[in-house]
Amino acid sequence: MVVLSVFCLFPVYWMVVTSFRPANAIFETSLWPTAASLDNYVYALNAIPIGRMLVNTLLVSAMVTVAQLLTGLLAAYAFARWRFPFDKIVYTLIALTWLVPFQVVMIPNYLLVANLGLLDSLAALILPHFAGALAVLLLAQAMRSFPTEVIEAARMDGARSWRILWEVLTPNLRGTIASLAILIFISTWNEYFWPLLLSRTPENSVIQIGIQMFMTSEGTAWGPLMAAATLASLPILAIYVLLQQQVIQSFTKSGIR
Amino acid sequence: MMSQLSIRQLKKRYEGKQVLHGVDIEIEHGQFVVIVGPSGCGKSTLLRIIAGLEDVTEGEISIDGERVDDLDPADRGCAMVFQNYALYPHMTVRENMAYPLKIARMAKAEREKRVGEAADMLDLTAYLDRRPAQLSGGQRQRVAMGRALVREPRVFLFDEPLSNLDAKLRVTMRIEIKRLHRRLKATSIFVTHDQIEAMTLADRLIVMNAGLIEQIGSPVDIYRQPASTFVAGFMGAPAMNLMPARLAGTRATLERVSDYAVETGSFGPGRDAITLGIRPEDIVVSRDARVGLLARIDLIEELGGSRIAYCSVGEQEIAVVLPKAVSFREGDRLSLDFPAPALHAFDRETGLRLTAMNAARQEVANPLVTA
Repeated sequence: MVVLSVFCLFPVYWMVVTSFRPANAIFETSLWPTAASLDNYVYALNAIPIGRMLVNTLLVSAMVTVAQLLTGLLAAYAFARWRFPFDKIVYTLIALTWLVPFQVVMIPNYLLVANLGLLDSLAALILPHFAGALAVLLLAQAMRSFPTEVIEAARMDGARSWRILWEVLTPNLRGTIASLAILIFISTWNEYFWPLLLSRTPENSVIQIGIQMFMTSEGTAWGPLMAAATLASLPILAIYVLLQQQVIQSFTKSGIR
Repeated sequence: MMSQLSIRQLKKRYEGKQVLHGVDIEIEHGQFVVIVGPSGCGKSTLLRIIAGLEDVTEGEISIDGERVDDLDPADRGCAMVFQNYALYPHMTVRENMAYPLKIARMAKAEREKRVGEAADMLDLTAYLDRRPAQLSGGQRQRVAMGRALVREPRVFLFDEPLSNLDAKLRVTMRIEIKRLHRRLKATSIFVTHDQIEAMTLADRLIVMNAGLIEQIGSPVDIYRQPASTFVAGFMGAPAMNLMPARLAGTRATLERVSDYAVETGSFGPGRDAITLGIRPEDIVVSRDARVGLLARIDLIEELGGSRIAYCSVGEQEIAVVLPKAVSFREGDRLSLDFPAPALHAFDRETGLRLTAMNAARQEVANPLVTA
C-alpha cells in the first residue's frame, strides 16, 4: 500500500516541486528544488487571468452540480415511484446515454450551441451537462431502496409527490446526494475537451484551458504550467481533505469510473 | 345504528390474479375489528384498499355514508400504523407526530397541543426530541400510533403492527392498544396473522382465507362455533382435531379408527361423509380403558401451564390437553372420550359447518350475520 501510494503521489509531488524550480533548473532531477523561487507563479499569474479562470471553473462546476442534482432528483422520482408507458425503455435509454462517449455528441452539441449564439460563453459550458445519466441512475436506485412503507405513511399523512420528494426522500438521501455532488463537481472541474472547443477568450475560459495555454507550438513552458496546474488542483485537494469520507464512499458507491 | 365503514362486493385483481373475491363488511362506530388469516389470504390488501394505498378493482367502500374509494388516502379520514413503524428517519419524534398536522396547515399552537396530548397518552413526552433511530422498537411503534392519533381519524388501520416486536413486548403493546381503544373508542381495523392477538383484541373477528371471508363474529362465537373446517383449524392452538367420519343414522363412525362411533344427530338426507371436529381441551382423558377410545401417546409438549399430548389411534392423529391431576408419559396408553356437546360436524365436501336437525344444540344459523 505504501509503495502504491508513493507511486501514485509522486507525479503530484513532482508537479509541485517543478513549479518552484527556476526556469534554468527546470529539468533538474533532484528530489528537492536546489533554488526555490516563486517566479513561475508570478509568470503564470501575469500570463493568463488565473483568478478569473478559477472563478469561472468554480461557477461552471457548481452550476452543473446543482443542475444535475435537481434534474436527477426529479427524473429519479418519476422512475422510482411512477408507472407510465414505456418507463422501463426510457430508463434504459437514459442508462445507455451514459455509455456514449462525449466525443461522439461533441459536434452536434457544438452546432446547437453555435446556433443558439452561445459560443465563448459560460452558459454553453453548463448547458450540455444540465442532466446526467449517472445522477438519474444513482438517485433512482437510492429511491427504490428507500422503504416504501415510509412513503406510504407520508401519503396517508396527506403528502403528495412534491412533498414526498423534497420533504421525505431528499433529506434521507443526503449521503447519496453528497457523494453524487462530489463526483459531478470533480468531473466537471477536470473537463477539458468541451471547454477547449468552445472557449475563444481567456476571460470566458476555465482553468484547464488556461493550463493548456502554456503548451504552444514553440515549446512548453513547464515551470508556469506546473504552477498553474498546482493552483488548479488546490480546490479539488481542499474538497478531498474536507470530505475525505464522502469521497471514498462516492467512489465505492458508484463503482470506480 | 348506521354502520360507519361499509364495504360492498369488494374485488381486487393484480395483473390478472384475483386476490379478493367479493368481500362484504359492515363495521359499527367504535368497534375494534380484527382481520385474521394466513399469509396471502388478502387481509393486508383489504386494509391497504381501505386506506387508499391500493385501487379497487370492483365494489365500493363508504365511511360515514360517503363513498371514499375514489378519494386520496389523506382525504378518507383513515390513519394507518404500519408493520415496520414507517417513521420519518430524519425527523424527531415531535416532528414525526406533527407532520400530518403540518401538511393539513394546522396552527402551530394547536399542533403542539395535540402532539403533547398524544405523547402524554403514549408515555413519549421524554422522547419528543429524539430521532427514531434512538428509540427501541416498542417506542417506535408508539410514535407511529401517536402520529395516527393526532390526526383524530375516523378509522384507525393497523397493519400487523406488533409482528416486529419480541414476544414479551408484543403482549405489553397488545394490552396498551386495547386500553387505548377502551379510552378513545375509535373505530379500528387491525390486521394480523396471530390468532392470539386476534382473539384478545377483537370486538369482532373476521377470518379470511384465499381472498374470501370465512366467518365474521365475536371471538368466542368463532372459537366455539367455527363456520368451516378452515376456521376450526385456524383458530385455536393446538388446532382443533379434524377427523373424517361416516354417518349412519345419528351416529358417526371415525374412518381411520375401526369400530368407534359417536352420537352426533342427523344432518338431513344425503350427508353421510362428514368431518368431525373436537378441540384438544374438550377431550376427556382417563386411564380407564373401558370408556372411550384407546390411544397411545407419541409425543408430549410441555407448555408449563399445560401439557399437550399427540396421540395416535389407528391412522388417526389426535391432540389432547392432558389433565394436570394425572401424570402421563410418552408411550403411555390412555383412553379418550368425546363428549357429544363438544363435537363439531362439517360437510366433507364444502367444509361448511353442519347443524344437527334433532340435537338441541345452539348454532349460528348464518355465521355472516353481524354480531
